Amino acid sequence: MSVPTTGVRDRAFERELLVHLAQLRSSDDPGERREAERLRADLIRLHLPLVEHLVRRFLDRGEPHDDLVQVGTIGLINAIDRFDPDRGVEFSTYATPTIVGEIKRHFRDRGWAVRVPRRLQELRGALTKANETLSHDLGRAPTVAELARKLDITEDEVLEGLESASAYATVSLDGGFDDPDSASVADTLGIDDEALALVEDRATLRPLLEALPERERRIVMLRFFNNLTQSQIAEEMGISQMHVSRLLARSLVKLRHGLTDPDHA
Amino acid sequence: MPQSTDPAATRVQLRLPASTAYVSLARTAAAAIAARLDYPVDRIDDLRLAVDEACALVIADAPPDSVIECEFSVTGDALRAEISSPSRSGGTPSHNSFAWTVLSALVDDVDALISTEDRLVIVLSMHGFEVAHLDEPA
Repeated sequence: MSVPTTGVRDRAFERELLVHLAQLRSSDDPGERREAERLRADLIRLHLPLVEHLVRRFLDRGEPHDDLVQVGTIGLINAIDRFDPDRGVEFSTYATPTIVGEIKRHFRDRGWAVRVPRRLQELRGALTKANETLSHDLGRAPTVAELARKLDITEDEVLEGLESASAYATVSLDGGFDDPDSASVADTLGIDDEALALVEDRATLRPLLEALPERERRIVMLRFFNNLTQSQIAEEMGISQMHVSRLLARSLVKLRHGLTDPDHA
Repeated sequence: MPQSTDPAATRVQLRLPASTAYVSLARTAAAAIAARLDYPVDRIDDLRLAVDEACALVIADAPPDSVIECEFSVTGDALRAEISSPSRSGGTPSHNSFAWTVLSALVDDVDALISTEDRLVIVLSMHGFEVAHLDEPA
């Protein structure tokens, strides 16, 4: 997008457009009303970089970038429709809280916490470590009671920590990516047509799976089509089981979104 | 297969608005119950995912402003979750859909039916330690 949005001259120009839009909208002439529609579309396009800029603050919280741009754009459109140039406020000043509000509402609607308290972040770290140690010792994933004993905390605290560690919480999913040297069974799995053959919505599903990041796609295939457990996948891929769970939940939201709403795909 | 209600089972019931905003309550309840049954944490996470998926399925077919009912019943270490809401289509999800594939992989048994009150009911059954898939080649 090469349309400039900052600078005094652009602001003045933008202001003119918004004033013009308000005039065209109140007109009775059908030609002018059509012109208003066109100008409205131009203004939306002109301000997309503002949406993009605001979306950046919310990346790494488990929601796909494109979804955030989409909800942010809804906020932008509302702002353009409600803006009153006579009030004398800059449009971007007016639009920013509307756009951010829409994005935050999106997170709330999905049950995502926008902020995780520090206490929970620390608990999560401790749980990941204890989970790994105990899984190793027991040869299976530990129970909540076992984790509570190990960390000397209550079972409720363990549950709370696990909940906050799931994809529904704010986490950065970057980093700790696969060691490129560790070739494994999982590495060789592309999208297995045989595994997909029985799924009747595979025509829609395939491109959605292909759009997933490589690692998420592999985890989805291993869990749902090869029936490996989360712990087996964690071992296979050299990441924690909690991380596998997080990535699975995130992938399922994306796939479900795409399957129920083809425009999203 | 939905069993007749076991009088010995411990029951937890939850009613929520059929909206994604409230699904986290169902997930959290399911996880807490599974934890009481000493399920390993990876199975608890599977159950969370399955409840999420089942809620998404019934919500997709529910008319606006309807209510989801979740009933969890526990017998021994077996956990059964019935998730239902009024159904617009009056049909059950195809066993060949991706959603069904996902549910079947996450829990030991999954079933769907239309109740006499025209509700779509998804039934999930689970045991603490996964044995069903161990003998299958990975």
